[in-house]
Parts: sequence; structure tokens; C-alpha cells
Amino acid sequence: MSDIILSVENVSKRFAGRIALDSVSIDVARGSVTGVIGPNGSGKSTLFNIIAGTLRPDRGRVLVDGRDITLASAAEICGLGVARTFQISRLFAEMTVLENLIAVARGSDDRAAIALALELLDFLEIADIADRWGSELSYGQRKLVEIARALMLQPKIMLLDEPFAGVNPRLQNRIVEHLKALCAKGITVFFIDHEMRIVLKECDLVYVLAEGRLIARGDTQTVRNDARVLQAYF
Amino acid sequence: MKQLGPLSIAGAAGVAALLLPLVGSDYAVSFSIQLLIFLVLAYSWNWIGGYAGYTHFGQVSFFGIGAYVGSLLIFHWNLPWYLAAIVAGLAGAVTAIPLGGAMLRLKGPFFAIGMFGLARVLEAFALGFDSITHGGTGIYLKPLGDLRPLYYIVAAVAAIMLLATWKLDNSRLGLKLLAIREDENAAESLGIPTTRLKIGTFVASAIAPAAMGSLYAVYLGFIDPPTAFASNIELTTIAMVLLGGMGTVLGPLCGAVLLSIVNEVLWANYPQIYLASVGIIILLAVLFTPRGIVNLGMKSGWVAVGRPLFRRLAARAGQAS
Repeated sequence: MSDIILSVENVSKRFAGRIALDSVSIDVARGSVTGVIGPNGSGKSTLFNIIAGTLRPDRGRVLVDGRDITLASAAEICGLGVARTFQISRLFAEMTVLENLIAVARGSDDRAAIALALELLDFLEIADIADRWGSELSYGQRKLVEIARALMLQPKIMLLDEPFAGVNPRLQNRIVEHLKALCAKGITVFFIDHEMRIVLKECDLVYVLAEGRLIARGDTQTVRNDARVLQAYF
Repeated sequence: MKQLGPLSIAGAAGVAALLLPLVGSDYAVSFSIQLLIFLVLAYSWNWIGGYAGYTHFGQVSFFGIGAYVGSLLIFHWNLPWYLAAIVAGLAGAVTAIPLGGAMLRLKGPFFAIGMFGLARVLEAFALGFDSITHGGTGIYLKPLGDLRPLYYIVAAVAAIMLLATWKLDNSRLGLKLLAIREDENAAESLGIPTTRLKIGTFVASAIAPAAMGSLYAVYLGFIDPPTAFASNIELTTIAMVLLGGMGTVLGPLCGAVLLSIVNEVLWANYPQIYLASVGIIILLAVLFTPRGIVNLGMKSGWVAVGRPLFRRLAARAGQAS
């Protein structure tokens, strides 16, 4: 198996003539934490939605484990072991936290699904809210339940859409610890965010987008000192 | 206060249903057949409208198709009415497969109104193809001497629908349908096969209404297009589910029993203001219990909260670890 688990090749996308992504290529190494940062409007969400299968690119392709998923549906991509969270929480509000997890479980064994759900709630330290309704949760709790729900799919890759946006620093650190633990379990973590501090601190590899183009790529140190990145951000 | 669970309420209703033909008058049996037919329609509609969230105004299409298939089989081939109802149910399923595939591409109000349009188209066909359907003249069937066998069959179907809904409510399939209702795109992104589940539920929710259509024609001894595809049947069914509680096990039961009795009492005593009164009751219900009686009961604690199975299993697993 190749070391690249997710690869985006020369992907372009326009919305009503405006360029959202311009020939963007990204490689995500197996078992790594890879982040894409960029200011608002840089094309991060477009890129994310193309990978997750909710948008189609105009040009280019997306490969998971060498398999072309450019035209696959969101559910098919999910079936290949790619699970996602949403930037704005999309928990099922009229279900409890436990039901939110069990609803997406695979396989036909109810007991196994429940055992996995309880294990994940323990892992993310939110077992105490298992019986609370999705609509009752705080913003931070929703973020954690979203991660737990994506983990129910036992994914190879976790796609996290702005996991740190609007989250207090304590919870940010908690999420970072959980992401590291996921990596230790062999799950690849790919996320987009504009929270530069966290992304630069925790990623193995960082890509920087601005106005639909990749302007930098490299480890934390390289990106931090890149003149174009500094210009885009400051 | 002891909570009422779905199965204890269903059990009580079942005992009452079994005893009714033995002690009740012919009028009571006749009224109960209508009530039970509506109960079956309400449970069917609750699967696609209440659980999967695809509310629509076209279930009467399958009721009408079933009414015609059953009536024609009885009229031309003298098929026993209960066998005709089974074939009618299958006909409902068979027509629902392509219709579901086509109509479920629509969402929200477009699906709801599209299904309403479908019922009107079918009614027009039934009127137009008079060489087959006898058009506006209708089809006359030999009236049943004793309504009790019909009563028991309809009651049995209602019981099956109730139990199937209880089973669905406590299954992961039920949760997946609720996920579609809550956020279909998110559900799809999380690997739930939304298209397959929607079409499957749509087809399942067409079978019993088609069978009921056939039995209703037998009950009346007559069917014509305005009766088979009556908007009134559609709206009453939806009102029952809304009043009782969408996406719940007991909602259709509560709604159908309550609204049937209120309808009957008002119709018998105040025929002039009957329709206006029913309208006002539905209006008040939607204003004051928008989620239905059963959801209100769950909130105030006198009805057990739905979907208890996973909570119970989780509690047990939690204790064991």
C-alpha cells in the first residue's frame, strides 16, 4: 500500500465564473495529521466538500487509497472509510447523543454498535451526556459528539471541518489530545481551519490556501516563516 | 405515577377490539371498521411522513389503486374479497416502486404537492378509462351479509401495523429514517443509504393502504373515482397522525381513535356545523400540541419516552463494564 492515503490532483472549481479553487493538489500521508489553513474565502470549505463528495470539481480528481472517488456519492466515499464532521454542527437534534451514534453504525449487530458507541463516548470523555438530546447540547459538546459520530464509522481517514472554530482554548487542547490519540490508533486526520496557532502547532504537514490557490506547503516551521503566508494572514 | 408504555396501551386496545363484535351492535361494528381502516392508513403514512419526514398528500393514490384492483378482481373473477385485498396490497407495492423512484427525487413541499397531483391524475384516469373502471358510474359489488369477518381482518392488519411500528421505533432502521427526517444530507454523508431507505419505506407504506382500499370498496359495496381517491380520506389520515404525534408508536392510534369518535359524534348531533367543528379541533390541536398528544404525554411524563430499547441496552452494558 502506498503511503499516500488521500490525494487531490489539480482540482479546480468555479462558482458563477468566480474561481474558488485553482488547480490545487494535496497529498495526505497515511497516519499523519495534515491541515489546510487559509483565511475566510480561500477555498478551504470547497476543497473539503469536494473530498467528502458533496461537491463535484470542474477539473482534477480525488483519490482515496489510489481509487478515484471524484464522481462517487457522499455515502460511497463514506463506505471507503472516509468519515467527516461538519463546521456547523449537524447532529440529529431529536435524537439522544447515544442514538446519534447508533444511527450511523455499520453492521447489523445492535450490541456491538452500542458497545462501540459507549467506548467512543468514554474515549472522548462525554459518557455523561449519552442520554441528552442533540438539541440540548452546548457548542463544545456538539463538536465532540460530531467527532464521536464520525468515529462510529471506524474510518481510515477523519475529515474535520473547522474543529477548533469558536471553541474555547481548554476544549481546543482536549480536541488536540483526542486527535493525537486517533493518530496513535492509525487513523489519518485531515482538517481545515483558520485557527493558525493550533494548526501550526499540531500538524505534520500544513497546506496554505489563499484565494483558491495553494501558496505554501511544508512543516510547521517552513509555513510559519513563509513570506506569502504572512502576507495572506497579516 | 405509572407510565403508560406502547405495548400496554396497544394490549388494552387489542382486547377491546376483540370483544367489540361480540357485544357491540351492527352500527358499532360498522363504525369500528371505518375507524380501523383509518388507523391502518395513519400507521402507513406515519412511516414515510412521520419517521422518514417525507410528508405528502398522495397516500390515497394507493388506496384508490387498491380499491380498483380489488373491486375489478371481485367483479370480473369473483375472487373472495380477502384474496382480492391481498392482490390489491401487492399491486400497491408494485406501483409504488417506480413511483417512489420518480417522486422521491423531489423534496419537501415539492414532494408533498407532487404526490397530491399524482392522486388527482389517477382519479382522472379512473374517470376516463371507463371501459375498465366503469368511469363515473362506478363498480357495484355484492354487499357483505355479515361485517364481522371484515372487521376481524381489518383489526388484524391494524394490529400488525402497530406492532411493526413498535419494532421500527426500537430498531436502527427507525433511527436511520429519523436521521433522514432530521438532516438528509448529513445522513448521506455519514454513510446512511438514504435513497434505498426512502424508496423502501415508501413502498412499505403503500401496501396496507392499497389493501384497505380494496376492503373499503367491499365494505361500501361500491366504488367510484371520487370515493376511491377522496381528498377527504387523505386529509383525515394526516390530521390523525398530526393530532396523535408524528413519528411515534402511539400517535396514529390516539389520533385515529380520538378523531374518529369526535367526527362521528359531531356528524350525528350537529350535521350542519360538523365540518367547521372538525376544522376548529384540528386547528386548536396544531396550535396547542403542535407535536401531537403523544409527544406532549412524553414531555409531561405520563407516556414512556419513545425508543427505549437502546437506552436500556446501553444502561445494561454500562453496568456490566
